[in-house]
Amino acid sequence: MFRLPRFPRLAAHAARARLACSLRQPNGAAGAALSAVIALALAGCAGGAIAQDTAASNGTSFVAGSYDTTVYARGSRPVAPDVKGTTLGGRRLSLGSYRGDVVVLNFWGSWCAPCRAEAPTLEALARHFRSGGVRFIGVDIQDSPAAAEAFEHTFLISYPSLNDPSDEIALAFRSTVPPAAIPTTLVMDRSGRIAARVVGQATYATLGRLIASVAAGAS
Amino acid sequence: MTDVRVPPGSGSEEDVRAAPAPSPDAGPPPSAEARPAFSAGLRLAVTGWLRWAWRQLTSMRTALILLFLLAVASVPGSVIPQQGIDPAAVAQYYTAHPALAPILARLSLFSVFGAPWFAAIYLLLFVSLAGCVLPRTFRLAGSARQLPPRAPRNLSRLPMSASYRTSLTPAEAVGSAAGLLSGKGFRLNNADGWVAAEKGYLREVGNLLFHIALLALLGSVGIGGIFGYKADRLLISGQSFANTPTALDQFRPGRLVTPGDLQPFSVTLDRFTAHYITSGTLRGQPSSFDASVRYTDRPGAPARGFLLRVNHPLSVDGVRVYLIGHGYAPVFRVTDGAGRVVFDSPVPFIPVEQTGLTSEGVIKVPDADPDQLGFAGVFLPTAVDVNGRLQSAFPAALLPRVSLVSYAGNLGLNSGPSQSVYQLDLAHLRRLPVAPRPLAPGQSIKLPGHAGTLTFTGYRQWASLAITYDPGQVPALISGIIAIAGLLLSFAVRRRRVFVRAHAAPDGGTVVDIGGLARSDAAGGFETEFASLAAEIMASHGGRQPAGTAAAGSADDGGSENARYGDDAGYDDDPADNYLSAPADNESALGHDEGE
Repeated sequence: MFRLPRFPRLAAHAARARLACSLRQPNGAAGAALSAVIALALAGCAGGAIAQDTAASNGTSFVAGSYDTTVYARGSRPVAPDVKGTTLGGRRLSLGSYRGDVVVLNFWGSWCAPCRAEAPTLEALARHFRSGGVRFIGVDIQDSPAAAEAFEHTFLISYPSLNDPSDEIALAFRSTVPPAAIPTTLVMDRSGRIAARVVGQATYATLGRLIASVAAGAS
Repeated sequence: MTDVRVPPGSGSEEDVRAAPAPSPDAGPPPSAEARPAFSAGLRLAVTGWLRWAWRQLTSMRTALILLFLLAVASVPGSVIPQQGIDPAAVAQYYTAHPALAPILARLSLFSVFGAPWFAAIYLLLFVSLAGCVLPRTFRLAGSARQLPPRAPRNLSRLPMSASYRTSLTPAEAVGSAAGLLSGKGFRLNNADGWVAAEKGYLREVGNLLFHIALLALLGSVGIGGIFGYKADRLLISGQSFANTPTALDQFRPGRLVTPGDLQPFSVTLDRFTAHYITSGTLRGQPSSFDASVRYTDRPGAPARGFLLRVNHPLSVDGVRVYLIGHGYAPVFRVTDGAGRVVFDSPVPFIPVEQTGLTSEGVIKVPDADPDQLGFAGVFLPTAVDVNGRLQSAFPAALLPRVSLVSYAGNLGLNSGPSQSVYQLDLAHLRRLPVAPRPLAPGQSIKLPGHAGTLTFTGYRQWASLAITYDPGQVPALISGIIAIAGLLLSFAVRRRRVFVRAHAAPDGGTVVDIGGLARSDAAGGFETEFASLAAEIMASHGGRQPAGTAAAGSADDGGSENARYGDDAGYDDDPADNYLSAPADNESALGHDEGE
């Protein structure tokens, strides 16, 4: 017998859609009050299990913690999958064709607040490292073309972004370094191996240092 | 467990020997001068206390108390809003009770089921159950292998007995009786002049199965919690998503689940259709929901179609995808002051009531020029005017209208902290003076001050999906079935014993005594079995019944006889037997069931 379904909790379920992993410095009382969720959130944003369902995501408060950065030693760098796709501008793009360059792959969405906050940093780094054989590629997640193009226009983004409406690119990285939250930034060395991952909003200093050391061929 | 549960000192002989005298009422164990070797005494006292604590923990009473505590501890979970279920309500609670909320948060009352004290209760319960069930399992295994005890001297004192004379020698009589009983599946303990036979070991097998299955059930639930995960995703018609963390709206992984462990399937929602009853008293009630999806098991695999319905989940790679909700996503196009299209997509609105599916949502346009734009609105599937107020009269989109409030300024999105896509942060937004007017599809609002234009271009439907992976589910089901089967077996099968003794009568011939004892339950049915057995044995011996002896009587009689028999025949030398015949045996089996 078919029972007429009711969806009383629906609003609650849906109300968490599209939440990015945000990482900020602790701020006193709020940090203390939310200590219960901090461990969870750190575990989540620290690249292991993900906990997007935290105080960070309900829009009223955010979770304390530090930017989570994973650096892979030279010998243990996973090979990045050769993802292909269409850019927001409609061009075909293949990650494999960037072999020989250091590639910074940034997963973002125009709706994601930390992505918006880090966008100027990424563009500045892209310009700074351009002559050093470092290429930036964005991967636009859960977005609409109009909003994504408006985002690129606002932040004067000069590097291309792959459109990933069905999460194929994120999925391609599942067996190597899956993007754990939005934003996630991967740094790949010149032989196409993943050298570092930054989960959460990247800073100029941290990401810049990572790119510089990978570009210099250091471990 | 049914055995001793008293603290050492008031406990059994063994306890007293192991731990001299620490009594919980008397506080700590006696001081050093009472003993020759202080450290040895202390060690004994410590082991005594530990032993006592362990017995307390693994007692049925403690298990029941823990179970009760678990139930009580779940109460705040349904009274206080929970972060994992309704974070928005938690946020509201913070706003409504700014002083109380941080205290509750510190006590983990917003995530009761993840709270350390909650974990403590269920871990203790687990240890208690395991500590109760494991030793019992070993004991049951032992008793299932055990031979029946030697025949008591005086069989006429058993609940059931018979006696007759035969011309066979005692050895022949016992031998033939043993052969007959063995042929009926009795297990024998044979000696000179008597044979003890027991049947119904399946009862112990059932008991054993129940206990092992109970442990397996606990283990399965644990496995599900460690290796399983739950996730939600809202999917608008035409959208796709892959089972990867960045694509999920909410992801609650088990302890050892990493993003790489997620099964790499993808789902596309082609069409969502809701049917509603259009007449009668149930008008407006949904009659069916059909989500037509395409899915692939893994990247590159061929896509397959599936009709996802309520209670008819999609099963991919061991993961189940349930249809749990639906709603409308009106489509908006926003052109900013500079004439650029800065937004053009469906926006999921969340139903706030079910009869008319009135839904609320917000539109954020962070890349509009010169100011960021925000809109908060209501979507009415079937808009009707009721006394000057617009309401939705029916859940289907018969006359869709959108009513919006427009804002401009700073959405607060560019500074970093995450926001819900369903809430506007009004702190740095100003309300634009736009006359409130419900929009029909195709209609626009022209914002004042050349801030831009918003057009309501149409609507789509969305479905919300729950993705669950629980590798412990099948083992838990199998364990549960085995546990119930074992329990039934242990209830249905009786352990019963038949003893035969033969001795030469002083006046010549042989006297054969037969005694019967049902080891458990009310002995319903055993009387008949015993009578026919006795008759059969007697017939095989060509025996004749002496006057005055007959198969013994009623259940009441049996009970008292049984007790006396226990005193007389020294059953104490067989502790496993005592254990099995203890009246609490069934109670404890039931108790375990409850304890589960």
